[in-house]
Amino acid sequence: MSERAVPPGVPAVRVEGVRKGYGSNDRRVEVLRGVSLELEQGEMLALVGPSGVGKSTFLHLLGLLDQPEAGRIELFGHDTGAMTSGQRASWRNRRIGFVFQFHGLLAEFTLTENVAMPLLIGGAGRREAAVRAGELLAAVGLEHRREHFPDQLSGGEQQRGAIARALVADPWLLLADEPTGNLDAATAESVFELLRNLHLDRGLSSVIVTHNARLAARCDRTLRLSGDGLEAA
Amino acid sequence: MRVRVLLLLAGRYLGGLRRRTHVAAVSGISFGGMALGAAALVLTLALLEGFQHTIRAQLAQRGVHAVLRPRAGATLPGGDWLARLRARHPELELRAIAGGSVWCTVPGEATPAELEVVDSLSRVEINRVLAARLGVGAGSWMAIASPRLVLTPLGPLPLRSRVEVERVTALRPGEDRAIVRVGPQLGQALLGAAGPRVVEVRSPDPGRAWDVASHVQASVPDGVEVVSFRDLNRPLLAALALERVMIGFGVALIMAVAALNLLCNLALLAAEKRLDGALLQAMGLEAARVRWLYVLIGLVVGAAGGLAGTAAGAAAAWLLDATRALPLPAGVFIVSHVPFRVTPGAAAVVVGVSLAAAVAASLPPALAAARGDVVEGLRYE
Repeated sequence: MSERAVPPGVPAVRVEGVRKGYGSNDRRVEVLRGVSLELEQGEMLALVGPSGVGKSTFLHLLGLLDQPEAGRIELFGHDTGAMTSGQRASWRNRRIGFVFQFHGLLAEFTLTENVAMPLLIGGAGRREAAVRAGELLAAVGLEHRREHFPDQLSGGEQQRGAIARALVADPWLLLADEPTGNLDAATAESVFELLRNLHLDRGLSSVIVTHNARLAARCDRTLRLSGDGLEAA
Repeated sequence: MRVRVLLLLAGRYLGGLRRRTHVAAVSGISFGGMALGAAALVLTLALLEGFQHTIRAQLAQRGVHAVLRPRAGATLPGGDWLARLRARHPELELRAIAGGSVWCTVPGEATPAELEVVDSLSRVEINRVLAARLGVGAGSWMAIASPRLVLTPLGPLPLRSRVEVERVTALRPGEDRAIVRVGPQLGQALLGAAGPRVVEVRSPDPGRAWDVASHVQASVPDGVEVVSFRDLNRPLLAALALERVMIGFGVALIMAVAALNLLCNLALLAAEKRLDGALLQAMGLEAARVRWLYVLIGLVVGAAGGLAGTAAGAAAAWLLDATRALPLPAGVFIVSHVPFRVTPGAAAVVVGVSLAAAVAASLPPALAAARGDVVEGLRYE
């Protein structure tokens, strides 16, 4: 399987009857009760819903950071339940890009190093990774901040850096957990615009968790997660 | 395993001073602890080795290097093997010793003593124990009374010989009996024509003490047992080795304390970097590599601290020895100052102990960090 050989003709994401809960016995909390979803390749899906309903949990399952207690998740035709921990790590490194509400940039590293980190983890050389990171930083308009540390950047710049990092390894699937939730309205608008443009330019399949109905409306489709599962918003 | 990214992460976490995190401070404390422990261990081992080296050198300088003794019976087998041995190894000193018990007397004093008949001796020597008991020195006269009897008008009396003490010899290691040494002519007169009980072998070069037995082994008949320098001094050498191990182990507990400090600091680091660990795993770093990251950080601190401490301890030991900074009272000790001697083996042991302690200390936080729930870690933000 080559780096960019997205398998044609299969959904980017297919979720069937996924269940997930936390705790045990009388403290058991059922978060996801049989959630199903199909996301086409190239589609940008907004996931909305009240706090605590399990949006982040669902995103973590799609991102192979956690495993469902029941149900099946397929990414680009691959059954994730059959993957080893090493294969799951490899998918997170090469196929999936994450953007979190808080930028999640590493404090001890410059912006270039932060953006290059997925490539370094994947085994790329520092020079090669730095060149690629520079390209991504230029794409998000941060080439002048290459050697700055995260605490020297504004909130919007930090989030744009996080987007660059999520896309540096040319992933197939972009998962964003309230990427504008920590930004003022104007900055949120510009960051979402950037996200939308990169999604289109790179042919990504994206799932965006957001509380912002106006931004959600600009996605291809919006689904609301509730205790009964996913439904069109 | 792709270690470059782990080295980058470990280096940046350890060098976090420029980001004003407390990571560098706690790493510095861990480094200092490991360095202090290593330096203390090196100094202690150098002190022990200094004294023990002096003792071993004194043993080789003053003691015999091998003993030839009969495998059975009280005397060595006859024949010309001893003459041939002398001819074959002219570089070695061989002293054939016969002997028995005698009484040594001076007016108003008498004491039992061992009489050693040394074939290469032509004068009368006594050791310091005998000299002290009789209150005599070189040039004094004394009488040696043997168990052999002679008939006199007063009846049978012990055979006596009046001799001049020509030399008082220093005590050999472990020598605590009163001994008088005489030549073969006087010896035969006092004890009769008894064959030698042992042959003492010495090399003029004390450095060869350990090899003398193997050199003469092939030249002695079957009835003669060769006792090596090592076997002659086995109890003392074993005691010295045990002393070094036990004291070294005791001082190494400092390293254990330093390792516990490292463990605490790594646990703090892992807690502070919990979000980083989760983010790195979200970017594809395997949990096993998160574990290796903390082991690597521990190893770097342990290796740096161990090497720095070993170097500092070795330098201090060398300086203390070269400048004779710690003098000892003359006449009480066999050396004039406290000796320090650093051996490559001891330095390697200290560095090895540092690394082992660092790995052992880093494993619990490393395992805990690798076991941590990624999703929980992300919520940590």
